[in-house]
Amino acid sequence: MNRLLMRVLRPRPMLGPHVFRLDNVSVGFRRNAIEERSLKHALAALVRDRRQPLHQALDDVSLSIRRGEHVGVIGRNGAGKSTLLRVLARVITPQSGRVFVDSTVHVVPLLELGIGFQADLSGVENVHLAGALMGYSYEDIAGKMADIVEFAELDGFIHEPVKNYSSGMYARLAFALATDVEPEVLLVDEVFGVGDEFFMEKCVARMHRLMAAGTTTVFVSHNLDFLIGQCDRLVWLDEGRIVADGPAPAVAKAYRAARGTS
Amino acid sequence: MDRASRRFTWLYAKSQLKLKYRYTALGFLWNLLEPGLFLGVLSFVFSVVNRMRISDYAVFLFSALVPWRYFEKVVTTSMDSIVQGDWLMKKLPVSPFALPLTRWIVASAEFGFSFLVVFLLFAVLKTQWTIHCLILPLSAIPWSLLGLGLGLVFAALFTFFRDIRPVVQIGLMLAFFTAPILFKPDLFTEHTIQRSMIVWHPVTYLAALFQKPLYDGAWPSVLDWSVSFGVAAVSLLAGVLLVKRSRAQFYFYL
Repeated sequence: MNRLLMRVLRPRPMLGPHVFRLDNVSVGFRRNAIEERSLKHALAALVRDRRQPLHQALDDVSLSIRRGEHVGVIGRNGAGKSTLLRVLARVITPQSGRVFVDSTVHVVPLLELGIGFQADLSGVENVHLAGALMGYSYEDIAGKMADIVEFAELDGFIHEPVKNYSSGMYARLAFALATDVEPEVLLVDEVFGVGDEFFMEKCVARMHRLMAAGTTTVFVSHNLDFLIGQCDRLVWLDEGRIVADGPAPAVAKAYRAARGTS
Repeated sequence: MDRASRRFTWLYAKSQLKLKYRYTALGFLWNLLEPGLFLGVLSFVFSVVNRMRISDYAVFLFSALVPWRYFEKVVTTSMDSIVQGDWLMKKLPVSPFALPLTRWIVASAEFGFSFLVVFLLFAVLKTQWTIHCLILPLSAIPWSLLGLGLGLVFAALFTFFRDIRPVVQIGLMLAFFTAPILFKPDLFTEHTIQRSMIVWHPVTYLAALFQKPLYDGAWPSVLDWSVSFGVAAVSLLAGVLLVKRSRAQFYFYL
């Protein structure tokens, strides 16, 4: 009862111009967690705590992202970039710290192309299904279907099961769906590595249009040149901690210098 | 559950049903034949055990066995729904209720098909139809809610403890063979352990919600309704609370 009262009475922070605010957020993964997923292990742990130590994917991260900002997240593999994006997308609930997301904005996480697609369903059916996951109504999607099919260049194939699509066709359809409906916030995790060069150009042009229209974007990518070109701000993560956070050219220069690639 | 998760749940369940029957000409028919054959074999065997006319016994057996099979399917298919839905749970902020609910909707639709089979069979086997059969849609509700509640409980537990599956299967088997589904409740005499077991078995009352209108031509008693809805409400509450409390942990165990 007290906890409920505390939750109700606790003052909500004013996000103001910010879409996201993270205060001292930490996320840890237990190593060898597979062994721990058993009743046998849980019972043994009652006698003796044999739990493995946590690997901190995010360690005391504080960060704010303003409305309309274009932020790139850089760092080596395992630095915590994707975990950060999943925290912003509210897929991961951190073990400590607080996450505030402006509930009035429509956030579309593009952590992988084609999430929710079912191989045996047709393109149209998958667009409706995955569209529902992104928070769009049947009518929203139906109204945009012609544009989605046109962008994805799937006219004539859209009623075929997506298991018959090439990887390029699949990626085009998924990207077209995620971006055609013009989300207010787009969280993108390394999804530009698929499809041919022409498709890449189309995707970048589409992203430019969305960003110019005011869509807040957070990109996770290893393509530093791409991020410098698209983002006004870079956040550099290493071992779950923020090493640098600032204007894209300055952070990119420091990152390259640290890696000895400048 | 948020609007996006609700919409996804409905569309996903519909697509699962569609896919199941899309490419098989016999798909829908098989859904009717499979329980029909199962029920036929059971009624043949157990009519001998119960020393009853096969047609008479079949009506008794089918009336509780069909909802039991629905309940069992909801529980067992919901149990691994969150774990098997890792492709979704690790990529989008979808409600953890969405996946067990999808399994529940699919099983409920198939339960409807199964009852079609039962009514077709009853048209041949049953000699007298009474007004009490009109109560059957209401009788299905506690079975459905109990299945969903236990499905949610086991979906949460299975995410953390992958070795509970055999425990749940043995538990269901015990519940099935000790409940008056295959045998009539009056098979055992008063003041015996078996009789006490039936009195204290919650499935006895759930089974009565179907057996009384279909076999006895009577209304279920107040006790039948109270125990059935009470057990269903408790299990549903437990399931919802457990999933809500542990939802933040699921990601780390998928």
